[in-house]
Amino acid sequence: MQLKKVLLAMSMATGVFAAQTALAGEDITLEFVVWNYSLDTIQDNIKIFEAKNPGIKVNLTDYTWTDYQDSLILRFRSNTQTDVIYGGQDWLPAWASAGFVAPLNDIAPPDELSALSDDIAGFALSDMTVDDELYGLPYYADTISFIYNKKILDDAGIAVPRTWEEVTAASLKLQASGMERPFVYELNQELPNFFDAFVAQSYGRGAELFDADQNAVFADPENGAYKQLEWLADAYSQGLIQPETHESKIIPAMNTGNHAFTVVYNYVLAALNNSATQPLAGQFALALMPGAENSTLGFSKFYAVTAKTAADPERAEAAWKFINFMAGGDYTIAKRWAVEKGLGFGQLPLYDDSDVIEAWGKWVDVSTLNQQAATAKAGVWTEWGGVWSAYFRPLLAKAMVGEATVDEVMQEGAQRWNELKEQFANR
Amino acid sequence: MWTIKRFPLLWLLPALLPVLLMTLYPIGHALWTSLHRVMILFPGEPFVGLDNYKRVMASSYFYDALKNSLVFTFFAAPSVVVIGVLVALFLQRRFFGSQIVRSVVLLPWVLPGAISAVLWIWVFHPSFGVLNAILRSLNIIDRSIPWLISPQLAPISVTIAHVWTQIPFAVILTMAALSTINSETLDAAALDCRSSFKRFRYVLFPEIRSMIVVLLVYNSLIAFTGYDLVYAMTSGGPGTATTLLSFQIWRESFSMYDFGAGSAVAFIVVLISATLIIAITRALPSDLFGGDEP
Amino acid sequence: MTGRLNPVLTFFFAAVIILFTGGPVLLSLYGSLVPDRILLDSSKSIFTEGPNFETYRYIFTGELPKSYLTEGANRAMISDAARQVPQSLINSAIIAFSAMSLNLLFGAPAAYIFARYVFPGKKLTFLFLILSPLVPAVALITPIYMALQSIGLVGTRLGIILVHTAKALPFTVLILSVFFRKMPAEIFEAAVLDHCSRFQSFFRLALPLAMPSIGATGLFAFMLSYSEFMFSLVLSGDARTRPVSVVMAALARNTDVSWSLLNTAIFIAIIPTLVLVILVWKFVVEGLLSGAVKG
Repeated sequence: MQLKKVLLAMSMATGVFAAQTALAGEDITLEFVVWNYSLDTIQDNIKIFEAKNPGIKVNLTDYTWTDYQDSLILRFRSNTQTDVIYGGQDWLPAWASAGFVAPLNDIAPPDELSALSDDIAGFALSDMTVDDELYGLPYYADTISFIYNKKILDDAGIAVPRTWEEVTAASLKLQASGMERPFVYELNQELPNFFDAFVAQSYGRGAELFDADQNAVFADPENGAYKQLEWLADAYSQGLIQPETHESKIIPAMNTGNHAFTVVYNYVLAALNNSATQPLAGQFALALMPGAENSTLGFSKFYAVTAKTAADPERAEAAWKFINFMAGGDYTIAKRWAVEKGLGFGQLPLYDDSDVIEAWGKWVDVSTLNQQAATAKAGVWTEWGGVWSAYFRPLLAKAMVGEATVDEVMQEGAQRWNELKEQFANR
Repeated sequence: MWTIKRFPLLWLLPALLPVLLMTLYPIGHALWTSLHRVMILFPGEPFVGLDNYKRVMASSYFYDALKNSLVFTFFAAPSVVVIGVLVALFLQRRFFGSQIVRSVVLLPWVLPGAISAVLWIWVFHPSFGVLNAILRSLNIIDRSIPWLISPQLAPISVTIAHVWTQIPFAVILTMAALSTINSETLDAAALDCRSSFKRFRYVLFPEIRSMIVVLLVYNSLIAFTGYDLVYAMTSGGPGTATTLLSFQIWRESFSMYDFGAGSAVAFIVVLISATLIIAITRALPSDLFGGDEP
Repeated sequence: MTGRLNPVLTFFFAAVIILFTGGPVLLSLYGSLVPDRILLDSSKSIFTEGPNFETYRYIFTGELPKSYLTEGANRAMISDAARQVPQSLINSAIIAFSAMSLNLLFGAPAAYIFARYVFPGKKLTFLFLILSPLVPAVALITPIYMALQSIGLVGTRLGIILVHTAKALPFTVLILSVFFRKMPAEIFEAAVLDHCSRFQSFFRLALPLAMPSIGATGLFAFMLSYSEFMFSLVLSGDARTRPVSVVMAALARNTDVSWSLLNTAIFIAIIPTLVLVILVWKFVVEGLLSGAVKG
C-alpha cells in the first residue's frame, strides 16, 4: 500500500511536471534586425538576455547602415517575420503612419513605460514620439559634433574656431602653409546623416529649417541654413574641403595628419582617439559647433517593435521583455555601449555615472561634451521627411561641389517639401 | 546547319526553366508596378498608365543619371574589349614569364565589386592614396590630384576601376576564340602578310568577330546597368557626377518609397539597353543567329 | 603565334600588364601586413618596421592585436565581423560551384542545339534567352525576394544558387554556342553517317572538343556568382550562410575595422579563389594554346 501510494504520488508529480512543460510551450524566437555596428557586443547582450529569460531566443539579422532602410522596407513589404528593430528618427513618422511599427504602449505596462520615459533626454524623447505616442526606447543618442586636431592647431598657433568665418580663416592659413584640404567632410548623398550634419551646422548658426507649422523656410537667403550651404559651397570651391564617402574613411584620413577639421558623430571621435590602431590617437578634440548659437543636432536611434508583433500577445510580451532589457531596466546595457564603445546615450541617469565619465574622459573632454549636449536640439521629422530627404540630398551635394547654385537648390528643396506636405495632407 | 522538325524541348528546357522562373514573373511584376502608383505611404495601388514614366522623364535627376550611364558605357565597354583583345594577342606568344602574366591577368576577376572599390579607393584617395604618393615622390606633381573628389575626374577614376575588373574575362574569351582558329589559316596568314597588323585585320579579326560582338554586348550591358563597384567607390558623388541609372532605380524605389517610379526607370533602361544591343549587333554582324553555312 | 617581338618591348608590356592587373592586389597584401599606425604614418613603412601578422591572427584565432591590450587603448573597438570571412569563403565556394555546375549542365546542351540546328521557334527562344538579362537586377529585387520567400528559400544557399544560375545562363548559352558553332561540320557529318544520335554526337564529339571553352565558360559562371552582391545581400540570412561579397561590403563600411584589417580580409578572400582559378586556367590555357582545332 505504501509503495502504491508513493508510486501514485510520483506519477502525479511527473504528470504535473510534464503538463507544466507542455504548457510552457516551445521557445519563442524573436527576430531582431539591426545595422552592423558592433555585432559581437549585440550578440553578447543577447546571450545575457537569453540566460535571464529561458523560453525566449533572439535571432539576429544585420544589414549595413547604407542598406538598412531599404532592406527593412523589403522585409515589411514581404511580411518577413520581424519583431524588434533598430529605428531611426528620420524614418519613424513614415513607418508609424504606414503601420509598420507600433507604439510601446501596445506592449508595455503603462507605469513602467512612463517611469522609463521620464528618464529620457529631451531631444531623444521628441525623436521617438509621434502624435504623442512613444515608439521606442533609446539604443543610442548622440550629437553631431565639430572635431578638430589639437596638435595641428596648436602648432600653427590657431585658436579653436567659434564661428564659420573663423573656420575659413583657420583653413586658409593651414592651406597656405601646405595643408591641401584641411576640412574632411562626409559627403555621401545616399546617407541620411549627410542631411543631418547639414542641419547640425545650421543649428550652430541658430537657424531653423522649418517653422512651427512645418513649412520650409530655408530658401530665404537670410536664413542661417542658406548661409551655411553658401559657406560649404564657398569652402569647397576654395579647395578647403575633402569629401569622403563614409566615416570609416574619415578615420584613416584624419590620422594621416593631413587634415584639421571634420564634422562627425561623437563615437567616431572615440575611434579617432583609439591608441590601439590610430597613430595620432589623442590629438583629436571636440569643440562647440561653430556659429552664433553653438547649438547642434541631437538625435536618437532606438529599439522599436513591429505592428505585427505587437498584435500577437505572446510575441508582444517577449518583445517588451527584450526591449526593456536592452534599453530600460537599470540601463546596464546602455551603459555598456557608452563605456566600451563611446556611444552616446539618451538615458539621463547615465550622465552622472562615474564609470561612464571615467571611460569617456579618455577620448573627449567631458565638460565640453556636456555643454554641447545641453544645447542640442532635435530635428523636425515628418511622414514625408524621409522621402524628401532622399530627394534633397543629391541637390545638397550638387550645390556643395558647385554643380548647381545654392539658390536653385534651396528653392527646389523648399518647393518639393511644400509639395509633399500637401500631398500627404490630402491622402 | 541541320533542321529539326519539332522544338527540341528536352535540350532546351533545363536552360529555359530557371531563366523563365527568374524573369517572367519578376519582369511581369515590375512592369505592372511601373504602370501603377505603388508608394508605400499611400493607400491603394491604382492604375496610372504611363504617369510614372512621364514623371520620371521630367526629372533632371533622370537625365543626369542617363547621361552618366551612357558616357560610362561608351568609354568603358570598348576599352575593355580593345584592351582585352590586345592583351590576348600578346599572351598568345610564349615568352619567358608568360605563364606568370597569364595568371596575374586573372586577378581582377576574382574580386567582388565592393573589394575592387576598396583597392581602387586606396589607389586614388586624396590623403593616403598610392597614386598621388608615387607621382609626388617622382616629382611629377606637388599637389595631390583629386581623382575621386573632382566631378570631372571621378567618372574617369571609376571607369578605370571598372575596366580593370572586366579585362580578365575579355582576355579569356578572346584567347579561347583565337584557339579555335584553324592552324592552316594561321600558317597561310604568316606567309602572306608581313605586317602583324594586316594579319590581324584580314585574318584573325574576321575569325573572332562573333566573340568580339559577344564581348561588346556583354560589357555594354554590364556597364550600363552597373551598380556595385561605382556605388562602393563614390556613392554617386561627388555631387551627382557618378550617379548611374541603377542608383536612380534603387533610390526611387527604396529611399523615396516610390516603387512605381523605380520600375519605370528600370523599363526605360531596358529599352535603351535593347537599342544598344541591336545597334552593336547590326554594326558588327556575325553569324550568331544561324542560317549561314559553316 | 609566329612573329617575334623585341624582347625589351615584350618585357615592358608584360610589366605594364602585371602592374596594372596585379598592382592593386599587391596593395592589399601590403596593407594586410602593416597596421594602420604605421600605414598612415608617412615616416614609417614595412621596411622600417617589418611585416606584422596580427590581423591574420585576429581573423583566424580571435587573438587581439597587442596594441589593443596596452594602457589607454579601447579593447572593444575591433569588430569581429572580420572573423566571418573564412566561413563566408566556404559559403561562396559552395554557392558559386553549384551555380557553375548547373550552368554547364543546363547550358551546354542548349548551346549545342542552338549552334548546330535550325528548328521552329529557334529565333524566339534564343532572343528570349539573350534579352532576359536586360532588365537591371535592381528592379527585380522585390518580386524575386517575394517569390522566393513564398517558397521559403529566403535565407538559404539554395535560393541564391537558383538566382545566380538564372543570371548566368543566358551568357553561358551565348558563349558556348559561339564555340559549338565554330566546330567543322565534317566531324559531325561523319558521326551521322555512323548512325550516331544527336545526343551521342553532342556527348561524345562536341563536348570533348569544347573542353577548353567549357572550362572558360564554367569559370565565368563561377566568377559571376562569386562576385554577385545585390541578390546575395537580400537573400542571405544570417552570418552563417552569408557569401563573401556581402561580408566584404559590410566590412568596408564598418567603423571598427581598421584599414589594415580590411585589407587582410580582402587578401584572405582573394587567395582561395585565385588558386582555384589558376588551376582551372592552366587546364583551360593548355587546351587553348595547344589545341587549335585541326582542319
